[in-house]
Amino acid sequence: MTSDRLPDPHRARPAWLAVLARATLTQLQAQAPAADALPTLQQVRPPEIGMVMLRGRVGGTGNPFNLGEASVVRCAVRLGDGPLGVSYALGRCKRRAELAALFDALLQDPQHHDRLQRALIAPLALAQAQSRAQQQRDVAGSKVEFFTFVRGEA
Amino acid sequence: MNGAHTLAPGLPDGVHDSQQAFRAVLDALARPGQVRLIGPALPGVDLGGALARLLLSLGDDETPVWWQRADAGLQHWLRFHTGAPLAERPDAASFAVLLDSAQMPSLADFAAGTAASPEFSSTVFMELPDLAGGPTLEWIGPGIQSVQRVGLQGLPADFWAQWQANHAAFPQGVDIVFTCGDKALGLPRTTRVRRLEGV
Repeated sequence: MTSDRLPDPHRARPAWLAVLARATLTQLQAQAPAADALPTLQQVRPPEIGMVMLRGRVGGTGNPFNLGEASVVRCAVRLGDGPLGVSYALGRCKRRAELAALFDALLQDPQHHDRLQRALIAPLALAQAQSRAQQQRDVAGSKVEFFTFVRGEA
Repeated sequence: MNGAHTLAPGLPDGVHDSQQAFRAVLDALARPGQVRLIGPALPGVDLGGALARLLLSLGDDETPVWWQRADAGLQHWLRFHTGAPLAERPDAASFAVLLDSAQMPSLADFAAGTAASPEFSSTVFMELPDLAGGPTLEWIGPGIQSVQRVGLQGLPADFWAQWQANHAAFPQGVDIVFTCGDKALGLPRTTRVRRLEGV
């Protein structure tokens, strides 16, 4: 999550993949390029729906436990001979995974990288950070601090 | 992402193609010596159609695959689509891919399973130049009505001696699926092979 702010090139791709994974279908479709403006799109792995096990940690830091399963869509595409774009997204929307993979492929292409980073990733990252902060503020009000007075033994 | 540029797609219709290939290879092993059609070659994959489809259909993250000829592109392709790990040695493999039958390792090098768990043996996929037209042999055993005549091409001279030992080790031993292009033919460990007179 902190990697959103790191400019290091090795951190850049995980960062935009995380942003794309959280983006909604509407947000992705708004920036979708026209099909005829791109080289042929090859679906190396057509969008497929599966399950992932969500794991949590007791108290955020304790022993891991299985929270439950969630459906997830994954997809891998290639534009012409270009790099491979991959995506994983929670839910069952195949089109969303397909678009996210397409954007990942485009973002690895120097020709499209800067424009997409500016037009798509930066605004989405900002909106996602804001909504996360908003949610944290909302729940912070209901936080309960548990503490007891130390008894004699200590 | 080494080799990502050559990464070829998997089965065009994952669910139905793999079910079809599974059914066909099941049938091939149930009727030893009878040729079964698996499916046409996959674009961008440098393997016969039957071999490529069987690997995609049967492989998963619990089936290590041993390759006779290490080809990073093919290994990456199979790993990407099925999650099947690479086996370092033939006897650690669930599936073995032999593309050069003349230089094949001994059948005894593969996992034969144990007497208690014979299912932990290797299944060997062997690509041959042709599944017919070679020296004719008579196959007998479960799944064969009376006798099945098979003339595989391209097998090394000592193969059938090795097979005899493999058959004798029942219930242990390997099963073989011979492939050629889009076709496959099964040779399970239960099949006894008899040389015809004058061959």
